[in-house]
Amino acid sequence: MISFIGRSIVQKIITLFFVSIVSFLIIHLAPGEPSQVDPMNPKFTREMVERFREEFHLDKPLYRQYLYFYRDLFSGKTISWKDNQPAFKKIWERFLNSLPLFIVGTILTWTISFPVGIRSAIFRGGIYDRSATFFSYLLISIPGFFFAYILIMFVVNQFHVPVIGMETFGIGETSGFNRIMDRIWHLLLPSLLGATAGIAVLSRFVRSQMLEVEGQDYVRTAKAKGLAPDQVHYKHALRNALLPFVTMFGLILPGLIGGSVIIESIFAWPGMGRMAYEAILARDYPIILTLNFVSAVLVLIGTFISDLLYMVVDPRIRL
Amino acid sequence: MTTKRILILAPLVLTVILLQSYLWVPTYEEQAKGNPQRLHQYINASIGDAAILNPILSADSASSEITDKVFEGLIDRDEELRFRGRLAASWDISEEAFFYVNAATDVPGLDQVSPRAIIDLIQAARNQKARFSAELQKTLDNIVTVSLVSARTERVTEQIRDPSDDQKTQKIDITISAPARIKLYLKTVDQDLFVHLSQILGKNYFNSFDGAKFLVTTPAVGTDQLNALVQKFLPAVEHNPIIEFQLRPDVKFHDGHSVDAHDVKFTYDAIMHPRNLSPRVSSYEPVKEVLVIDPLTVRVIYKRLYSPAIGSWAMGILPEHLLNDAALKKEALALGKDLQSFSMRQSGFNRHPIGCGPFVFREWVSDQYIFLDRFDEYWEGPPHYEKYVFRVIPDLLTQEMEFYAGTIDSYGVQPHQVKRLKDDPNFQSFSGTSLGFSYIGYNVRRKPFGDRRVRQALSMAIDVNKIIEYVLYNQGERITGPFPKQTDFYNPSIEPVPYDPEGALKLLAEAGWNRNDQGWLEKNGQRLQFKLITNNGNDIRKAILAIAQDSWKQIGIDVRTDLVEWAVFIQERVNKLDFDALVLGWSMGIDPDLYQIWHSSQTGYNQLNFVGFANNEADDLIIKIRQEYNHAQLVEYCHRLHDIIANEQPYTFLFVSRWTAILDKRIVIKEFDDQANIAYRKITPTKTGNYTFHFNKWIKLAQAPEFAP
Repeated sequence: MISFIGRSIVQKIITLFFVSIVSFLIIHLAPGEPSQVDPMNPKFTREMVERFREEFHLDKPLYRQYLYFYRDLFSGKTISWKDNQPAFKKIWERFLNSLPLFIVGTILTWTISFPVGIRSAIFRGGIYDRSATFFSYLLISIPGFFFAYILIMFVVNQFHVPVIGMETFGIGETSGFNRIMDRIWHLLLPSLLGATAGIAVLSRFVRSQMLEVEGQDYVRTAKAKGLAPDQVHYKHALRNALLPFVTMFGLILPGLIGGSVIIESIFAWPGMGRMAYEAILARDYPIILTLNFVSAVLVLIGTFISDLLYMVVDPRIRL
Repeated sequence: MTTKRILILAPLVLTVILLQSYLWVPTYEEQAKGNPQRLHQYINASIGDAAILNPILSADSASSEITDKVFEGLIDRDEELRFRGRLAASWDISEEAFFYVNAATDVPGLDQVSPRAIIDLIQAARNQKARFSAELQKTLDNIVTVSLVSARTERVTEQIRDPSDDQKTQKIDITISAPARIKLYLKTVDQDLFVHLSQILGKNYFNSFDGAKFLVTTPAVGTDQLNALVQKFLPAVEHNPIIEFQLRPDVKFHDGHSVDAHDVKFTYDAIMHPRNLSPRVSSYEPVKEVLVIDPLTVRVIYKRLYSPAIGSWAMGILPEHLLNDAALKKEALALGKDLQSFSMRQSGFNRHPIGCGPFVFREWVSDQYIFLDRFDEYWEGPPHYEKYVFRVIPDLLTQEMEFYAGTIDSYGVQPHQVKRLKDDPNFQSFSGTSLGFSYIGYNVRRKPFGDRRVRQALSMAIDVNKIIEYVLYNQGERITGPFPKQTDFYNPSIEPVPYDPEGALKLLAEAGWNRNDQGWLEKNGQRLQFKLITNNGNDIRKAILAIAQDSWKQIGIDVRTDLVEWAVFIQERVNKLDFDALVLGWSMGIDPDLYQIWHSSQTGYNQLNFVGFANNEADDLIIKIRQEYNHAQLVEYCHRLHDIIANEQPYTFLFVSRWTAILDKRIVIKEFDDQANIAYRKITPTKTGNYTFHFNKWIKLAQAPEFAP
């Protein structure tokens, strides 16, 4: 166990090193220039562009730029080119904004998918199963932004309440409890939209896992023993069907940093996804690369956690 | 069964918690009607957040929207786009001109060329003007004083670029032993001064002055570099325009500190300081020095004639006492930052600016909103609105919904919505032409675009009116040349190129292109064939690409098209001049300076005259336009230049787009008449279409007022 953890950490650090090189190269080799040195702006003279390039170390060879960047990153000195704010501070602020969306979205996905999927599996082929299938595919195929517009228009026109932003604009003066409720309301639509595709996919997955397990001999044995159907489905079948989901749990972690560009833009939500998108458009390399690095770290931690979890829940696996 | 119950109850409880929050949220009606404060706020929405709230550092439109409200410049432009004083109560433009006494050439009527003799000659000419031509008389009238600057010797060290290696620089010691100079002080700027004076001093007096004789370099340098150094240190003649600003007394920054000439000088110094990396350096590069004469007088002396420089003083003035070295040092110490690398760019001022404009900065929450309060001590009287709110709403449809709900006050209408929203009785609408235009540019270095007739024919074959009608939903206007259509510089007498495919074929036949049996145009067995490109991601340009291709195919031109990703498009095609024809647009300022885009010296790699337009008369006019300080004369030059460019057609000038904005109908202009009674007036746009010009007088009423038609 200890040796597994040790080996795994070494491997992950090596992977991280290569990820850092590859992502650095991809971002720097992609065409385009930071907006501060945009050659198409008639206001920028050649001397100015050169001064900016020097300031940003863009005039140095790539390997030097790489060293400069990671030196700044590890000493926490990375600053955004757009507004000179420290990169970690910016990312942390946005992270806190995206976090509630992520948490509510994830809870919605996981709590709703299971009952829906399990019921579909138990009453396989019935009218419930068919309509659940129909709706899942509908939700998977509908474009997120389109669904978002429809929902916004419906809610705004029917209920005349604001849905944009993290809270009702100008609510600053009201009491604490109202504000909390207001924030929850503003979370509802974007997190629901973020969860729809997840619910549709995950409930399908739950259904197929359950069906597979339900066909196993030990489930038939349990039924033959005369156990109550609920006992069979929820104790004997569900527990075994859960195993693959444990691995998925670890992989949610990187989603934390991703945010959602489309949902955050439509709802004017000041989150990570939007910041990353705008940074890419402005070629704000420090922000893009820092985000990239942090998400690589999170992916590696996520896989590590799911490895560990798997060991804990499945007694057949011993490393 | 517990598991089953949990599985069913958990989502239900969660859903109930989420849904019940609806009951606590104020509806739009409550926000708009139950909130009297709302009438005193102006809420504006923007797609992107501001980057840096410092007028000398910001380069994006969102930031300047805020800095324009928080800061104030010395001057700005009035309804007619003329300059008007803001912090400057008045200003005066004069000139100091210099020339070296040229002993090497004969001066008519002088036996011996001494400085004194030259001065006497000019003085004498001033006293008996009648002998001379009218233009010379005018020039002589303009001279206030003539004086002598004695000869000087100095040593300087200069860093110059190594001619063999662009990356390296070389240190050069220079010894200058300059002859005496004559200094002329002029009432107004006169770019033809020396041209006219040569009527007295002899035709070759100025251009035969050889500065290289008075300059010694160690080590010796090549001819090109020597010429550059002579130009720098010993130019035969020199124009130094001077602008003297008289500041308004008793203007205060938001923190109560008064604004004076030192703040103006500080702002200039801050822009030029290399460490601040200000994107505005190029506008101030022609400045020689900024002098504080007294606390309310500041004098700006320029190195050379450069008339667009006046406009640069619309730049917001920074408070020196908050940003000078001592203040920055204190801030760096408080933050524990490195003193050496801490510059204005790192200062907290950029996120909490203090200026002297009509609104005081209060709060900025990134990517959400910026709050401004009105400045009660604003010198022109405080604005009527108490608050200015800038909201970041990145999605246009969301902006539209918020506008209908009354939580933002204006909305920029998309072209396809104009028909529906323009005459909606619930809103007031404004529209005007944008600054900037779209065009098809031809690489005149390549065949067949070198021939003007071919370019004209290509323009004639495209029905631009159809493009405006179908691609822009009629939200565009024809444009015929490079100047902004709403300014005087645009020549309205030039007719747009007509849609005339037959005429186009005739012109092409003159140029030697005739249709072969398959219908393609041919010359010497070669087909008229080229590639039209544009950048990916712009639907309007993409549509133009298809329309142009189709129109040209119809008269037998074999056109291929290609869409290229923006960065590749600029770096690989435009900057390296690797294209036949392209569809692109320029966005412009009001200044008529066309040097970078149209002068023949700007046709190299990475330069903006990428079509390679070169015309001697145009070059001459472009230089004259940069140097002319008289508006009427400027307009005349611009009209002529416009004519030349329209005739040469290096671009097919397509259109300038129209913008439309809608505003809550309850917003009106509030004024006081002579008896101090309140009078409301409908918001009317200025001649140039700017409806926010009187923003400080706007107010929102509880009920939309009825105005007599």
